[in-house]
Amino acid sequence: MSTTTAPASGASRDDLARLEEHWGERASVRAWFTTVDHKKIGRRYLVTAGLFFALAGLSALAMRTQLARPEARLLSPQEYNQLFTMHGTAMIFLFATPMLFGFGNFLVPLLIGSRDMAFPKLNALGYWVFLFAGLFMWASLPFGAAPNGGWFAYVPLTAEQNTPGLHLDVYSLGLLFLGIATTAGSINFIVTALKLRAPGMSLNRVPLFVWAIVATGFMVIFALPALNLDNAMLFLDRRFGTHFFDPGAGGNVLLWQHLFWIFGHPDVYIIVMPALGIVSAVLPAFTRRGVVGYPLIVLAIVSISIISFGVWVHHMFATGLPQLSYSFFSAASTIITIPSGIQIFAWLATMALGRLVVRVPLLFVIGFVVTFVLGGLTGTMFALTAFDQQVTDSYFVVAHFHYVLIGGAVFPMLAGIYYWLPKMTGRMYHEGLGRWAFWLVFTGMHVTFFPMHLYGLFGMPRRVYTYRSEAGWDGWNLVSTVGSYVLALGLLLVLAGVVHAVRRGRPAPPDPWGGDSLEWSTESPPKPYNFPVLPRVHSLHPTWDEPSRESMGAGARPDRVLAEGRRTLFTSELDGRRERAVEMPEASVQPLVLALAMLTFFTAMLFAWYPVAAVAAVAVAVTMAVWLWPPRRPAEQVGVSA
Amino acid sequence: MSGGVTAATGAEALTTELPVGRSTGWWGMVMFVVTEATLFACLLGSYFYLRFQYGAQWPPPGIGEPKLLRPLVMTAVLLPSSLPVVWAEHGIRRGERWRLRSGLAATLLLGVTFLALQASEYAEKLREFTMTTDAYGSLFYVITGFHGLHVLVGLTMVGWLLAASLRGGSFGAHRHDRVRNAAIYWHFVDVVWAAILFTVYLSPRL
Amino acid sequence: MSTHPGPRARLAGGLLFWYAVLGGAFAWAVHLLAGWGVDELTCAAGSEHVAGLPLRVVVGAAVVLPALATVGALLAAALLWRRTAAAPHDGRDRSVGRSRMLAVVGIWSNLLFLTIIVLGGVALLVLPPCQR
Repeated sequence: MSTTTAPASGASRDDLARLEEHWGERASVRAWFTTVDHKKIGRRYLVTAGLFFALAGLSALAMRTQLARPEARLLSPQEYNQLFTMHGTAMIFLFATPMLFGFGNFLVPLLIGSRDMAFPKLNALGYWVFLFAGLFMWASLPFGAAPNGGWFAYVPLTAEQNTPGLHLDVYSLGLLFLGIATTAGSINFIVTALKLRAPGMSLNRVPLFVWAIVATGFMVIFALPALNLDNAMLFLDRRFGTHFFDPGAGGNVLLWQHLFWIFGHPDVYIIVMPALGIVSAVLPAFTRRGVVGYPLIVLAIVSISIISFGVWVHHMFATGLPQLSYSFFSAASTIITIPSGIQIFAWLATMALGRLVVRVPLLFVIGFVVTFVLGGLTGTMFALTAFDQQVTDSYFVVAHFHYVLIGGAVFPMLAGIYYWLPKMTGRMYHEGLGRWAFWLVFTGMHVTFFPMHLYGLFGMPRRVYTYRSEAGWDGWNLVSTVGSYVLALGLLLVLAGVVHAVRRGRPAPPDPWGGDSLEWSTESPPKPYNFPVLPRVHSLHPTWDEPSRESMGAGARPDRVLAEGRRTLFTSELDGRRERAVEMPEASVQPLVLALAMLTFFTAMLFAWYPVAAVAAVAVAVTMAVWLWPPRRPAEQVGVSA
Repeated sequence: MSGGVTAATGAEALTTELPVGRSTGWWGMVMFVVTEATLFACLLGSYFYLRFQYGAQWPPPGIGEPKLLRPLVMTAVLLPSSLPVVWAEHGIRRGERWRLRSGLAATLLLGVTFLALQASEYAEKLREFTMTTDAYGSLFYVITGFHGLHVLVGLTMVGWLLAASLRGGSFGAHRHDRVRNAAIYWHFVDVVWAAILFTVYLSPRL
Repeated sequence: MSTHPGPRARLAGGLLFWYAVLGGAFAWAVHLLAGWGVDELTCAAGSEHVAGLPLRVVVGAAVVLPALATVGALLAAALLWRRTAAAPHDGRDRSVGRSRMLAVVGIWSNLLFLTIIVLGGVALLVLPPCQR
């Protein structure tokens, strides 16, 4: 159990001053554009993702208002199409994954006992690309040119002759642009977790959140190329007249669907996996024990990540493929529920065997369990081809995925926001306000989405801008709309609570919850260098175990203080044995410049200004060449005879 | 032999740390290559997917089976170009800058030759079909063109390394990570070409 | 253990470790791509034979061979688990702890993948390969 006072640091005042000098960034306009501090970058991801969440949420409120009554005339069909497309696309690509990458960016170096990510400048690049790609896509909406083919943009609807105009070029180019950030971030998480862990942190002592983020990174590495190829082919077909998806010339429309869902199904786990990692990270503090069955949760994380690549055809059960083909995917879709269930049972066991401390984060965790399990139940139903073929493209599907996504991603994020707010901002939130927010969000969510199971079964198709009264869906739709307003109010209270805490919240101690992981051994908020003394880790719960805590205090040694220079430690991949100290990059404007060059390229491609695009591509190459240019060193240091 | 099996299945061998000791740059390049390789795998998979849906005649009527001579020459130029890179890298590990420079220059030359041959192949083929002719044309030019783009990027990296190696103080026995990481990328580009040779040029004949 | 394994034995041991942990996953991936790919593409081309062999036989091989590879991985994982039962006292305890945890992961993971492959085999026995 950790103490409530600041951890006694084993570093001298001189050391602390030198660390501050090497790692500190004095606030200035220049610093704002050039920072490579993972904590600042992580917070920016959270805020920007929150902004895109608000935009996508307002789109949803507009849609729900339109659907409150039959044959309403608030929105035209064309406007409605753009709204549901942007709602889905932005929620998935511009909110869910970036928000979780934001948590990852802030937390991973802290959780593994390091001072930064493996590639700090690449980290900054990832943020700028995310911001620019998001603005690139949303900027189209006021011009009525937003993507309008649904978030999965099936051909032949999205082919040039059926949907002319820029809408789907914004979609394909925007996602290709964003993909650069997602890939860069994933590589960064993987390499950081492999090489920068504190000495002693062998793989069996790695926190579950880090396992989850690394597994997510691997899923991105293998899944994103399929989406990138799909979008590249779509752009080529639409803009340059290729025939990948054109059946009249040897192409195939199902090729789009296969490539899309080869990405798309792992993507839902890319979204949910880090969120489940948050649940594992939050529970110990509120159950006063480690999560039950650590190896089984690692098993679940690893096996779900892999099996998720073999289920994609379950999104295509209604496309007329051979039944034997369907069976392979139906088998995997059924079995993947086992590791998913293992995690839930492990968390339930942790709550049952531990001593519950009821605070807002725990409420959101419980809300997650209830909601996500319900979503998982309907998910198992979909694994059966025959059932799937009856409810495909109805509101039953809409109900299912909102249950798993809001339950499985949003609730854990909210738990994470309340849990780590003290660490990130140094302020505590107001518990009463937080509880009001929880109950409104929980109630609003279920009132909105539970009826969708029913009117989906009663036949209401998804993606329709209105409906006739005869079908009998009126009352249910109105209930959903009322629920959506309650949900929006709850989320507004979350935002109000965060803003209030940042301005007027009680100052938070380093470890307000008595947490088990290493971030609770730092200040709130952490110093720029995270740890005055890098820890030597002896167990899975380093802030709870005496030898690990002592390694940062009385047992500190200069070779883990590393105050001369801007340095952190590299350790071995599997067993966390110390290798060497390494100098880390300082603030730089290169990531911003590179991101701007990329933005120029994609904008030029969108508007068919190809010479501009060519120049921008050269600018990208030159910026990268400068960024990676080797430093000049004296002959003996570099290792040649002078 | 049985002694070897006992040793390899003993606790100490089984718990050996493997992989171990790689740099962050190495892991970063490996992960990047893995994601690019997946992209090529999807692209070649799409080729087979469209081909087997098409019907008996492939390439479609109006387009001849791709001739083999030039691609085989291109293969003979590109695949061995990995050797000078390896030789260059082993050289700089021993501090021999001249080996680094000449090895990189040789690779650059071979790579440029490959691209020139590809350009001449395009010049000939474009008279017969373009990427807008049909799905075969789209596949042919996008697959080979995307690979050619990767070769160009690889050559830019090799050229950049060469430029850096001409200035003193860049590389030596203790500082050669960038060389090895770029070499990984170059070897990857070679392997992809072999897969393209098989898929686009050889498999229609099987 | 009186003698320490040489570098070759270490390499073999290290590779065997990864086979134990990820062998089933890899075998399943091969099973899925080969089985689904051959079935889908052959049926799309309107045939029920692949290079002279009946489609059922080829898909059957794509079930049986990966299944055997997965059983091998399962046995390797069980071996790894047994070898890591005792905690050593010579500073390698982290390696052993890490290996034991991943052995547990390997055992259950390989069982899951074996189940998926066997279920695919059942489907093959029950369904005609090209029926839509």
